[in-house]
Amino acid sequence: MEQKFKEIIAQYAKVPVEEITDDKKFREDLGLTSLDFMSLLGELEDEFDVEFEEENAATVFTVADALEIMKNLTEGE
Amino acid sequence: MQKLYPLTAAQRMHHDWIMNYKTQQVSGVSVVASLQIEMDFGLMKKCIQEEYQRYGCLRLQFTKPDKDGQVKQYLIDRKRGDIPLKDLTGMTLKEADDLMQTWAYNTFDGDDIPMCEFIMVKLPEGYNGFFVHMDHRLVDSCALVVMISDIISLYIHYRYKGDYPDPLADYEEVLMKDIKKATNEKRFAKDKKFWDDMLDNWGEPLYSDIKGPSVLEEARKKHKNKKLRSADIVMDDLFVTVKDYLLEPEPTQRLIDFCMTHQISMTNLLLLGIRTYLSKVNNGQEDITIQNFISRRSTQDEWTSGGSRTIMFPCRTIITPDTDFLTAAYEIQNMQNKTYLHSNYDPAFIRDEMKKRYKTPDNTAYESCYLTYQPMPVKVSNPKLKNINVHAKWFANGAATKKMYLTVSHAKGGMNFSFHYQTAVYDEHDMELLYYYLMRIIFTGVDEPDKTIGEIMETV
Repeated sequence: MEQKFKEIIAQYAKVPVEEITDDKKFREDLGLTSLDFMSLLGELEDEFDVEFEEENAATVFTVADALEIMKNLTEGE
Repeated sequence: MQKLYPLTAAQRMHHDWIMNYKTQQVSGVSVVASLQIEMDFGLMKKCIQEEYQRYGCLRLQFTKPDKDGQVKQYLIDRKRGDIPLKDLTGMTLKEADDLMQTWAYNTFDGDDIPMCEFIMVKLPEGYNGFFVHMDHRLVDSCALVVMISDIISLYIHYRYKGDYPDPLADYEEVLMKDIKKATNEKRFAKDKKFWDDMLDNWGEPLYSDIKGPSVLEEARKKHKNKKLRSADIVMDDLFVTVKDYLLEPEPTQRLIDFCMTHQISMTNLLLLGIRTYLSKVNNGQEDITIQNFISRRSTQDEWTSGGSRTIMFPCRTIITPDTDFLTAAYEIQNMQNKTYLHSNYDPAFIRDEMKKRYKTPDNTAYESCYLTYQPMPVKVSNPKLKNINVHAKWFANGAATKKMYLTVSHAKGGMNFSFHYQTAVYDEHDMELLYYYLMRIIFTGVDEPDKTIGEIMETV
């Protein structure tokens, strides 16, 4: 799951997947705009069949933040 | 037999305008791109022909409308057609621009025909390049900028041995992905719930006009409905004119700094300024809707596949006058972020739902203002062109489907505010007032973000 997750982020960040490390910040390091970020969340929801709470979305700053929420959502099924 | 595909939501938006306004002119988009260099036009012709192969959307055609007025799209294998060359060197640059403006009014009439036309141009003052006129269902402005840059890069590659440009994404592959997304039932249900919930919670939107409440009052009289909340749009006199204002580099930088400091996007700051103006001139109306255009391009493939991916969604907010400027900006940002998450939805469904719920009369709308913010400048960037002057210009298609459409872009170190307005509805003075107060509102808020919206409306 983690590999696919990072591949999707890499498409949005327009960088090789190797550069998607846990500490990377979506805005500052990966250069995602609000539209990019929200579109990314939508694609992750569709790909992994999960649903982000809107409040959760506001607390996601880094790849690790998003990954943790994703793991919780997929494990909670 | 070519494979037929349905239109995407963004393409359907333009298609519906063509059908409703009964002219393809409303979907025209034109631009000239030229460089102040001696040009080998034989080579430029080869580059444009190569671009037809690289950028699949240029080869799009549309079938004859079916009984419901819907069309399908398909890609053709374009044969190496001619690209004419026009010599306009006997004119001034202004005269040449005026002539090209008339070309922008042309229409592509017919089914199963090419919807894109290039003309190579020799311009005054040593500028040489090409004019391109297209149907908006093939490209949006981002896609046009990518295309221009790619053609110039091809020319630089062949003429000056620059790098061959990176491959562009396959239009058909990205289109199929978009269609798959649009038909994902779970995604559709989530998006529909979001937009329906807004109507459940807030009820029917309320029209606000940049000229004040008299416009809605007139519509109420015309429709003999004192509770009508939408106002008429113009269907027969679509003539549009443009008024540009340049915000200088220093104040532009102040806005950028404010956005950076508070993590507010420029789009949201502009939306707040416009909605505050509408509230001010409509007796403090709190429920305001503006149509905001979004370009659904995030991944590399979406950026380089061409196509029309720009689509408008209503930005509706209810902001009370005791809300401070910064909080109001975050309220808009919050609403916009939710809209982005649900922007895969076809906004035509939102309009259909409102029509069903509120019996909105035909040819009326809840919005008078439409905004596009373009962070991407129209420039031809190539290291080999570092010291070469570029002349690039967008041409209006001359027929507006909207009362007032504001395009904000970065230019000359500042920001250009380009107001396209229907002359049947507004005049230049209306635009002057709007721009004047828009600036006053935004800069008062930027300087004193703790000030309330009510105080700002009074102050300005």
